[in-house]
Amino acid sequence: MVTEQHPDIKVTLKTAPWGDYWTKLPVLAASGQLADIVAMQSLRMPNFYSILEPLGDRAKADSFDVDAFDSSIIGGMSANGELYGLPYDVGPWMIFYNKDMFAADGVAEPTPGWTFDEFVTTAKALTKDGNYGAGITPQNFSIIASALGDHYVTDGTLDLTNAGAIAAAQSMVDLVATDKVAPVVASGSDPGAFISGRFDAGNVGMYIDGPWAMINKIDTVDFQIGLAPLPRGEGDLEAATAGSGFGISASSTHKDAAWQAIQVITSPEALVYLASQGRALPARTAQQVTWYDVAAKDVAGAREALEYSLAHSATYEITDNWNAVENLFNQYFPQAFAGSATAEATMNAVQSLAVNQ
Amino acid sequence: MTPEHRIPHQPPRQFHTIAIEVLSLLGLSLVALLFLFPFFWMVSNAVRGNNEVLAVPPRLLPNEYQWGNFVEAWLHLPFGRFFLNSFIVAGSVTAITVVVSALAAYAFARLKFPGREGILVAYLGTLMIPQVMLVIPLFLIISKLGMVNTYQGMILPMAFSSFGAFLLRQFFLSIPRELEEAALIDGASRLRILVSIIIPLSMPAIGLLSLFTFIGQWNNFLWPLIVVNGMEYATLPLGLTMFQTQQGTAWNFIMAGATLSMIPGVILAILLQRIIYKGITVGAGFGGR
Amino acid sequence: MTDLVSTPAPLQRRRRRKDKISAAETRAAFLFLLPSLLGFLAFMLIPIIASLGLSFTNWQLLKPPEFISFSNYIRLLTTDPSFFKVLGNTLFFTIEYLVLNIVISLTLAVWISSLKRAQQWFRVIFFIPTFTPTIAVSIVWLLIFTPGGVMDYVFQTLSLNVPNLLLDGNLAMQAVIIVTLWASVGYNMVLFNAALDMVPQSYLEAARIDGASAWDQFWKIRLPLISPTIFFGTVMTAITSLQVFDQIYVITRGGPGSSTATLGFAIYTNGFQNYQMGYASSLAWVMFVMIMALTGLQFWLQRKWVHYDA
Repeated sequence: MVTEQHPDIKVTLKTAPWGDYWTKLPVLAASGQLADIVAMQSLRMPNFYSILEPLGDRAKADSFDVDAFDSSIIGGMSANGELYGLPYDVGPWMIFYNKDMFAADGVAEPTPGWTFDEFVTTAKALTKDGNYGAGITPQNFSIIASALGDHYVTDGTLDLTNAGAIAAAQSMVDLVATDKVAPVVASGSDPGAFISGRFDAGNVGMYIDGPWAMINKIDTVDFQIGLAPLPRGEGDLEAATAGSGFGISASSTHKDAAWQAIQVITSPEALVYLASQGRALPARTAQQVTWYDVAAKDVAGAREALEYSLAHSATYEITDNWNAVENLFNQYFPQAFAGSATAEATMNAVQSLAVNQ
Repeated sequence: MTPEHRIPHQPPRQFHTIAIEVLSLLGLSLVALLFLFPFFWMVSNAVRGNNEVLAVPPRLLPNEYQWGNFVEAWLHLPFGRFFLNSFIVAGSVTAITVVVSALAAYAFARLKFPGREGILVAYLGTLMIPQVMLVIPLFLIISKLGMVNTYQGMILPMAFSSFGAFLLRQFFLSIPRELEEAALIDGASRLRILVSIIIPLSMPAIGLLSLFTFIGQWNNFLWPLIVVNGMEYATLPLGLTMFQTQQGTAWNFIMAGATLSMIPGVILAILLQRIIYKGITVGAGFGGR
Repeated sequence: MTDLVSTPAPLQRRRRRKDKISAAETRAAFLFLLPSLLGFLAFMLIPIIASLGLSFTNWQLLKPPEFISFSNYIRLLTTDPSFFKVLGNTLFFTIEYLVLNIVISLTLAVWISSLKRAQQWFRVIFFIPTFTPTIAVSIVWLLIFTPGGVMDYVFQTLSLNVPNLLLDGNLAMQAVIIVTLWASVGYNMVLFNAALDMVPQSYLEAARIDGASAWDQFWKIRLPLISPTIFFGTVMTAITSLQVFDQIYVITRGGPGSSTATLGFAIYTNGFQNYQMGYASSLAWVMFVMIMALTGLQFWLQRKWVHYDA
């Protein structure tokens, strides 16, 4: 696609397995082996913006229309107020649910604007016969806290021990440990994959995922999927979003060409192509409709849920060692889920370890 | 291996000794079956739908057999390419390791030179170096040499094996010197002696070293992960993790790929078991300084 | 087969006789050693020195390193809240795993060598896991251990009240040990089995005639005779077990809490997850020192139990 429009630019692909990309990237950067164009995910931006070229001036000089993108993901592609990447997809986290299970149990399906209490009630109603109403993973903490309007980052530093953050952790732990409406997950690699797998098997009624997962999900499961926004707390929903894009390596010797190239691969045509393959919800607002029509064609409530979520979207709050924090969530939440530690102790442990790392 | 010698004055075997033998055989078979369970589980998960993998309660056998998963997993990613890459890398590392180790081992075992004991001790010392310690500096060296994302970059750093040199040295020492002295007097070169006398006699040890090197590289994950960019040079273990994407985890394909990737190892294990067993007796005598 | 093993006596005598070092021989030796020495230098010695150097810097991969002298080592001994926990976990794993590995592989070896038939099949079966990619093996075990997985199901069906191994801080390490044993007990098993078969039948025959029971034959004859092999197996197993990483990376990620965080895992997390290469290098050097200390200890202890002369 790039070479079609700019015959002088040739793009070759370097890839790494998803989970290991982040192991590799800094090693490549450190040894000067980085490609000209670097794929970047919004949650990793605070770790890596220093290896990327700031794009603000180039965008201004070319009067590139940044506003055509969803604003929360432009936030995600920025660090310290400077843009470092052009996004191709955006995703607010949402609730995926098993429509058939709701029908079988006679439970009302969730609607946009529902509250966390309603979420808990729904989960309880679905929990029977060895099935669980909900699936929760340690990494859901930040998404749930954000949805409930609680904050766990203050002025860019981790603040897990404020009352709001602890309360959010508590409501999450309660789902598993007290109400037992969600299965316990262990701290192994990628607990999200386990919850997602239990959902596929029809053992879990609702779980949290993003639009990027939709296309495979529809192929895998043999029931109808529904989509709802995250439940809110007392205030308005703040739906955290994440997404990916492309930046230019600060050490690149072809920066101008790379800038041309990333404009092409995040162009409206490119994003329509991605969406028509069901791969991603376009980061450009005008192109998102393609995704509804293709990836989420038969999904109940997809459009309403997405529009509501995007209308209430918020940039995902993270610190510059977020990677380490998430790993610690993974290690420490399972103890609370199993009932052998309190939510507060979990937050204290993660806070003290993350700050000392 | 050693055949039981029939000793003439041994009392005839009685019923209860035979019973004990049968029980012992059955008992060990039971242990072996239990031991093989993870492989059964691997295959059983490879031939079911992805939505059945994490079903609760777990189903021992799939509801619906999807034997096509092997084909699909193979086609889903360039698995043929991964196999080829794994063969090239593991094969080359093995070949180089054997040659380099045999040359070094001959020097250690047969030649006198200053610093011999010192170098040998240094080699043995490297057996204690944690692998993880070397990865970053190794990568810096490889990138200075311009070998990132090449076969050379994957092969060369793995082809130095102090273990190989030591193992072969032990074996060479056990070969009587008389065998080569005649050739030396006839004016044969050292290299010729190594190739035509020592190596043929050392096949069990060389077989063992080859097998372990090959399998070690076949399973190596961390180094290819660091050196390889993209599908072109990816090896099998790397390929397996590619079923785990942001869009979801294809457990059944991972299991299918894992099953396929262990087939060469199992075949080698069965075919070469005699060689392994013979060669390992060298290891069995290692304690003897 | 025995004669392959120990250095035959005549050979040693000849070596002593021929003590002079000739220049030609040194030159030949140098040529023979050259490829190996080049590899040793480029891919072993230089990286080792580099890693030592890095352990005195604060290199974070993305910024150039700065020399900070002993700060990393001071940090791990004083301020790092998890260092001693990690050290304890590593030792706990190594000791329990080492003991179980030797006991189980020896038991299997003795059992197999006592059989009259199918020996080679059992050897292959117990050896197969060593040939299987650790990544693949660990994922299978993860599916077995996961809450609600096969393991839980079996315990439930048998009405045994065993908590899920991965969720219990005191048991999670046992899960890692089970996987590691399963994956690598085969190597020592074949090794010991080979050594047992090399014990001359005449020794056992003589003991049997003297009326020694099978039990006595094992403890008084076979075990002492194969003790050098057991020693070798123990040393090699200890070196690898201090480095345990792959299984933990896939199955527990150091959790729950930090109950399975070992040194190998801490090096990976600090180096490749938190990008603190300098600090990770200092941890790697701690690991290296531990390996050397443990190996040294084993060589010291061997005098008490290893018998070299039959």
